[in-house]
Amino acid sequence: MKRNDLFQLVAPLSEKLYRFAYSLIPDDLQAEQLVIDSLNAYLIKEQKQIVKRDFDPRNKKEAQQLRRFYFKGLLKYLSDIGIRRSGQFTDHLKDMGPSGHAEFYRLEAKIRIVISLRYDARFSVEEIAEILAIPRYEVIEKLHNGRFLLLGHHQPEAPL
Amino acid sequence: MIAPAPMLKVFEKKIIPYLDGALSKEEHAEFEAYVRTNPELNAKVRARQEEVQLLTEKIPASVLSAASREALETEMRTSIFNLLREEPEGLFDGLRIRWEEFRNR
Repeated sequence: MKRNDLFQLVAPLSEKLYRFAYSLIPDDLQAEQLVIDSLNAYLIKEQKQIVKRDFDPRNKKEAQQLRRFYFKGLLKYLSDIGIRRSGQFTDHLKDMGPSGHAEFYRLEAKIRIVISLRYDARFSVEEIAEILAIPRYEVIEKLHNGRFLLLGHHQPEAPL
Repeated sequence: MIAPAPMLKVFEKKIIPYLDGALSKEEHAEFEAYVRTNPELNAKVRARQEEVQLLTEKIPASVLSAASREALETEMRTSIFNLLREEPEGLFDGLRIRWEEFRNR
């Protein structure tokens, strides 16, 4: 795959990646930096696979599938790095969450990630488990906890 | 002998896949038809929709300005061109790679 092809695939994801990063760190610049750092980490780690991959940009279906594949890959790195960074200023997050979302920022980072992936990015439980490399039951458990803390009641996640 | 699951239970399990758009066309139509005939299930679907809506509203929906998005995409482009090494497939491809590297300096 050529560099420009990769850029054409990931550029439309910038908004979604930023939005996800912002759900981890509620600061414009920090969220943007988190997106860039995650992309850099992904490129360094997956460079060989990316360059080796055959890709025909005229094949729209393949492009769509590949974009989703890279989106998931980038979300994985973003989550890993984001959890570490948000842990550095937990107290700040609890007090300084943007108006109307303080409740959300009071949740532990991993729960915020799962809730965002499920209800904002609309990934299935299986896809979230794949992105975060955690078992399905752990995703369901975090969704339970997140829902309970945000809505104040439990409702089971029906199997997909 | 195992008794068959009541229809309501079967359809209750399909609420989330229905809301996620994960059902096939046939299952989707079948689910909607059943919901229309069953007020209990209809109420559960609505409650679930409201819950999802409420949760979605609690997630910060920060949007990038046009200028910030352009700046972020420029940085993404720079990262890709700096960190990925392309092997040239011939003389002209080598020139293209050099030209792209020059443009992205």
